[in-house]
Amino acid sequence: MTVMDIERPRVVPGPRQGWGPLPDGRRAPAMPPRPVVMPTRHHPRTGWEPLSGDALLQRLRITGRPRPEARPELARMLRVMLESGLERDGSASGGAATGPAVPATTPEGPPPLPVLVTKDRLTRILACEAHQVADGFGDRPFSLALACGSLIDVLFRQLVTVGSIGDPMEDGLAGLAVDDHQSDLRSWVEGLDGPEREELRAEVERQADGLRRRWPALDPAWLPRTQESLRVQYAGGAVELTARVDLVIGRPARDEGSVALVEVKSGSRRVEHRADLHLYALLEALRSPAPPFVVATYYSRTGELDVDPVTDELLVAAARRTAAGARRLVDLARGVEPDRRPGPLCGRCSILPDGVELAG
Amino acid sequence: MTAVGDRTRALVAPASATVDRDARARVRADLVARLAPLVARLPPGDPVVVSLPLLRQARTRPETVAAPQEPFAWRPAFVRRSLGLAVVDACARGRFRTPLEAVGPVASEAVERWEESGWRTFHWEPWVAGLAPGARAVVLAEAVSWASSLWSSLDWSVFDALPQIGGADDQWVCPAPRTLRLKGRPELRVPLVPGAPADPSASVRGTVGLVSVSGGHPPKAWPEELAYLALVASLRSPSRPVPARVLGLWPDAGADRSVEIDEAALMRAAERVVATVAAVAEARRAVPA
Repeated sequence: MTVMDIERPRVVPGPRQGWGPLPDGRRAPAMPPRPVVMPTRHHPRTGWEPLSGDALLQRLRITGRPRPEARPELARMLRVMLESGLERDGSASGGAATGPAVPATTPEGPPPLPVLVTKDRLTRILACEAHQVADGFGDRPFSLALACGSLIDVLFRQLVTVGSIGDPMEDGLAGLAVDDHQSDLRSWVEGLDGPEREELRAEVERQADGLRRRWPALDPAWLPRTQESLRVQYAGGAVELTARVDLVIGRPARDEGSVALVEVKSGSRRVEHRADLHLYALLEALRSPAPPFVVATYYSRTGELDVDPVTDELLVAAARRTAAGARRLVDLARGVEPDRRPGPLCGRCSILPDGVELAG
Repeated sequence: MTAVGDRTRALVAPASATVDRDARARVRADLVARLAPLVARLPPGDPVVVSLPLLRQARTRPETVAAPQEPFAWRPAFVRRSLGLAVVDACARGRFRTPLEAVGPVASEAVERWEESGWRTFHWEPWVAGLAPGARAVVLAEAVSWASSLWSSLDWSVFDALPQIGGADDQWVCPAPRTLRLKGRPELRVPLVPGAPADPSASVRGTVGLVSVSGGHPPKAWPEELAYLALVASLRSPSRPVPARVLGLWPDAGADRSVEIDEAALMRAAERVVATVAAVAEARRAVPA
């Protein structure tokens, strides 16, 4: 099955670019693009305006770099980096123990559960182990921002899949209602008092309107899929990297990168979002023949689109960061004391006064 | 990771081994002989239904196999496979180019058929019909993602004949004092390219390969788990050839595995069934009445 690759401009069909033949050899007509009407809205200070329609897609497609090729040796090297990150050398765990950091597997009985590494766990453990131990990896408390993010995730998914959004709050809450993991959040939203609920509604409607106006219909031939699960295990299954990507566009890679990964954020731009993207790129590079050619964050609040072409350097840096975080998570799972070092965030730490003592 | 074309060609390649009638009978007799005493010791209760998920659960979380099941309620995850398979079928038949194009019409047609005739092909039609647009979009989105994984995992132009996409589960009821049912649910049954049978006494006419799609990673015991699907198929229809191979796809991990089915593979799968039923029996006995 050949499908159009999203990186290549549609006007230059080639062997790997044109519409894919149907199973019987016929060619299907192109879907008409969704008309996009964008009012001219300039940024108050810079004259900047969000990308929309084809321009938004072009920003994803055209990275200015060659697409990464399928190189099994690169994937092997990344795996070696991750695995070697778990080898105990006494330096990364406070010299607490010697021997392999990976829990021993038992030949009899059920296999041990892997240590899960998600983007949030990675960011939090790398920020401060002590905070992480005190605060745990539990769900974040409900807030208007969290609710807005969940509703926008649902609405973005709806827009990609069915091409339209009706009443944003109504559709968003209906979407949350069929998700077991979100039923508590839905109840929380429905229990909001008038002003808070109106505040949430206004923001969700504003952001949904931006999605409608700026996001063009994605060509079905690009196999757009939402909330795709990525999972990679290493160290004999002792560690599992896992992510769920808001939008994956492009046929699965064969000889070269053909996939774009997009994360949608309803809040403000934060520095760790870039690292999240790089983790996604690493996961895709490890599970597929070739890395994605681009990873991007779309900020539905502002319409900003942060795009990172995927390079070897990006993947190597992501593997290093992931290896370091995974090592600490494995250590904590084994009961190793958290490393308590003062850092720039300590002054704003909410748990510090309640008993966490800093060393040094 | 195998290239899609290579993977598909390997799936439809002539069978490398066959399981003759005697071997098949030996596997069945051995399985019945080992299951019967286990089943006899089961406390009264619901019938035991062995499936691929139960096989996995018994290996990884044996303490949970007797846990009371939550009352059934429809949710998108329960719809995505059956709707996803219908979507893949519609694409394979050339009605639509891609899952995203197919999912809306396929779901709507199913609901309309139910509304007109009362006939539920998928069972979820009344639930989907009653969903608000936002909830329905989640159902469709889940199915698109699932179907896209399967659709892009194989080169459909390689198939001479259209595979059977979905269809009824393979089921076999063990002749035992209490009800024990084995259930196999492959996603595809793919006709193989005819070739010289490895065993000239066995017929390979109509031999199929099975395809199974799972979430997560291939577990360590993937060969037995995949062979389990062939075991159930062989028990269910003694007149049909035993599936020649089973291809497992784990799209989350970008992984695939394939197992060739011979007598030894069936025996190993039967071992897993026996171990699973033993785990269920033990867990049920441990649960206070």
